[in-house]
Amino acid sequence: MNYYEIIFYVFAVLTVVSAGVVVFSRNIIYSAFALLFTFTGVAGIYVLLNADFIAITQLLIYVGGIMILLIFGVMLTTNVTNVEITTQTLKALPATIVVAIVSALLVSTMVSTKWAVKDPISVESTTINQIGELLLTKYLLPFEIASIVLLIAMMGAAFLARKN
Amino acid sequence: MLTQQILDGLSKFYPETILSVTILVIVFVELFFKKKTRVSGWIAMAGLAAAMLFTFLQVNIPAQTIFFQMVAVDPFSYFFKVLLILSGFLIVLFTFLSDEIRSSEFKTQEYYALLIALTLGGFLMASSVNLLMMYLALELSSLSSYVLAGYFKKSNRSSEAALKYVIYGGVSSGLMLFGISLIYGICGSLDMFAISAYLSANPVNLITLLIAIFLMLAGFGYKISAVPFHFWTPDVYEGSPMPVTALLSVSSKAAGFAMLIRFFLVAFQNAGHPTITTEGLHQYITLPGLHWPEVIAVIAVATMTLGNVVAIWQDNLKRLLAYSSIAQAGYMLLAFVVVSPQGISAMLTYLAVYLFMNLGAFFAAILISNKYKTENIEEMKGIGYRSPLLCVSMAVFMLSLSGIPMTAGFIGKFYIFSALINNGYIWLAIIGLMNSVVSLYYYIKILKNMFLIRPQGDTGAVSFGAGYSVLLLALAIPTIVLGIFFGPLTKFAEYSVQIFGLK
Amino acid sequence: MITELIITSTIKITLVIIVILTGVAYSVYAERRISALIQNRIGPNRVGPAGLLQPIADVLKLLLKEDIVPAKATKPIHTLAPMISIFVALCTIAVVPFGDSIHLFSRDIRLQIADVNIGILYILALTSLGVYGITLSGWSSNNKYSLFGGLRSSAQMISYELSMGLSVVGVILMTGSLSLQDIVLHQFGWKWNIILQPIGFITFLVAAFAETNRAPFDLPEAEPELVGGYHTEYSSMKFALFFLAEYANMIVSSTVIVTLFLGGWQFPYLQTFGLPPLVVSLLQVFTFVIKVVAMIVFFIWVRWSIPRFRYDQLMNLGWKVMLPLALANIVITALLIAIFRS
Repeated sequence: MNYYEIIFYVFAVLTVVSAGVVVFSRNIIYSAFALLFTFTGVAGIYVLLNADFIAITQLLIYVGGIMILLIFGVMLTTNVTNVEITTQTLKALPATIVVAIVSALLVSTMVSTKWAVKDPISVESTTINQIGELLLTKYLLPFEIASIVLLIAMMGAAFLARKN
Repeated sequence: MLTQQILDGLSKFYPETILSVTILVIVFVELFFKKKTRVSGWIAMAGLAAAMLFTFLQVNIPAQTIFFQMVAVDPFSYFFKVLLILSGFLIVLFTFLSDEIRSSEFKTQEYYALLIALTLGGFLMASSVNLLMMYLALELSSLSSYVLAGYFKKSNRSSEAALKYVIYGGVSSGLMLFGISLIYGICGSLDMFAISAYLSANPVNLITLLIAIFLMLAGFGYKISAVPFHFWTPDVYEGSPMPVTALLSVSSKAAGFAMLIRFFLVAFQNAGHPTITTEGLHQYITLPGLHWPEVIAVIAVATMTLGNVVAIWQDNLKRLLAYSSIAQAGYMLLAFVVVSPQGISAMLTYLAVYLFMNLGAFFAAILISNKYKTENIEEMKGIGYRSPLLCVSMAVFMLSLSGIPMTAGFIGKFYIFSALINNGYIWLAIIGLMNSVVSLYYYIKILKNMFLIRPQGDTGAVSFGAGYSVLLLALAIPTIVLGIFFGPLTKFAEYSVQIFGLK
Repeated sequence: MITELIITSTIKITLVIIVILTGVAYSVYAERRISALIQNRIGPNRVGPAGLLQPIADVLKLLLKEDIVPAKATKPIHTLAPMISIFVALCTIAVVPFGDSIHLFSRDIRLQIADVNIGILYILALTSLGVYGITLSGWSSNNKYSLFGGLRSSAQMISYELSMGLSVVGVILMTGSLSLQDIVLHQFGWKWNIILQPIGFITFLVAAFAETNRAPFDLPEAEPELVGGYHTEYSSMKFALFFLAEYANMIVSSTVIVTLFLGGWQFPYLQTFGLPPLVVSLLQVFTFVIKVVAMIVFFIWVRWSIPRFRYDQLMNLGWKVMLPLALANIVITALLIAIFRS
């Protein structure tokens, strides 16, 4: 095992274990916290893939922004309104069967499919320049439309949250 | 060179650009006219009209893709653009004329901006040839429709509708993203043409591909409310403001169909094969071994059967129309099973006809709830004697939705069934016909309540302003005329079958 | 090769952390002395000559105190929160260059722990993580004052993160790189970014004050209304960690401000003097330290001169003044660059 692999496994274990906690924890606050570590682990894997920009964006937006709001929501609802939010297991048997089938299917496809693996390419020191160039050429339209999508989402959220 | 390409793309992107600008203008205008005014409604209309004008200028443009193969400008997208603008236009008028919306708690605020955004999303859904673009377009139209569905914040039903819509939408777009990621994993590209080229040239694991298709269908099925992704439909249709319901049942459904058709036909075509098969029938050649038409057939049958059977039990007019619109989606999907230009043109014809008759039915429902303050069918006894024009128009829409001859609905169904029979799907045609017979029951039930039972209590005539009557006629007359004089429409539909990238 | 990297990095990290922690101790001392000066008092002057040993006495006192955890607190998170705070504060320094490179032991050593290509984004990302320490401590204490302190500070930090990120964009546009070393190299001669980017500097400075929760933006711990804010329920070394984190944040912000806007380790026209390379390197490090110390003094000076904002004023300032200003700055900078390049 070289350094690369060790680091990979550290992050992989972090991601998977914390994702498990997200799903299995009864206390929704612990789920939210665990999700934090899942995101961080994913960011680490991005770094290993040489996707520095995406890794940092993951930290900046998901860990630093979205998760904060999520934890906020969870905290305020449990601590301020005194409503106990816990997750429960309902209909365990049918759920187990469905989950078993779905995961068997997914794992088997994961193993048996010939994925389109791209040849490793030498990356320049940073991906930022390429990302910037692509966003203004090939992905110009999706980039602009994404901004409209965000505008609409913001307007909608402001409208719903506002007192009239 | 790059700049040239982008400028060229922009010159073919005017309708969408105009809609985007309209959104921004409305947002700014709302800042300055805080009181209840119709200013933003008029701006929305002007924006739609301008977009329509520039869409018309694209009529003879050769089919092509712009913005580095992100969206296509072709007769197919042209058809849907016209449809979406028409529907957006009518919805703005509905909003003007709906009492529900003029009630005190309603302020226009972002309503029109969201409406335009939904139309813009529909435009892009109809023309995307890249899965990334497709997903963004889907989100644009979904996000705006979530908010529109919950536009009456103080009404519990409206909030419930919005919440259900968001949850279903979130799950299904998540599933769809997973499907997209699988397809990307298999083919290494998000471009539909590249996907079809890769799939035609390389043997792939068909099971994985099929899983991906199922997951993608979750996204499409949710937009067109096909079984089993229809659960949100009745509640959302019932809870949303009526004009929004009409919008959801027409615009977002049409856009969903456009996306579905383009994705399946382009991404899963067998690249490099001619479209005329040995039997002399025009047929799009799909990938061998991939049985998506069969999947669609099952979904279509389930959708229309469920829609029709459940609609029978409904008392609430909005819920009834919701289930009826599920059933209508089933008919349209039937035509898609025939993977041929004939089937697609039948589908487009039906969509155009559906625009008039379904919007008409919703407008009539708006008027009934305006004047009689009810959505319950049992309480509509005898109103045919009190407002004859309204109820006769309603009768036209109902008969057309059930597909009685001499109405536009008949033409739509006729083309669908003849496409099915021509291509050997006789059993599907029979199921469709049986379903139409079932649907007659609940459509006629409304008419029975309106006309065959004498009104009790208040029997005075209830009339409407001239504007209402004109709009009602503007929807009812095409529904009849298109049933008799359908040549231009079917020509237009046949012309619009040209999808970029298909020979 | 990789072993050598690890060794040099370890040495650099240890050195930098020692410097920062000492810096923290003495900025507390400086704060007390300067505040005394401003308020016409004497300040701590008993422990050691001129009170210079006061920080050590303070640390010893905090270490020996009893560690009290409230009975109803969520214990793991209560313990974790101060660690997050200090971790984030110390990690940020990794990308800040405190000198060019120095020739020692027959090899060139860069005076920066890690020259990350996306240094600025790294700083912004870590700053955004700083909110967790405060939010979690506020929540896990199970005390309403703490919770309010935590909530306030999160809202404040999220609001000011935006204008902070946007005000850097002007600098990035001018440099064309996100690496802090490149940004410093670009500020040679008189071309400090404070001269070229005055609006960006002001918005960044204000945002930095808000991000570090320093006066006049120290609402999370506003004593009159919130007792002690998010760290009301902390005592002993955990409290000391928060204290440490606050001052470490201040130092790190100063280094970042110096790097981005005040020319970093650049001493104007130093190369023209014809000094030996080792002296140049040391002078540059010295310049950097002087600038940072000046910045810290500025931080302290502001704290003892300007009254605290009201919460709604703070939010208004963040969203209605700073954000538009930062946005306008981007547009203007981009326009000017487009004009002067062509």
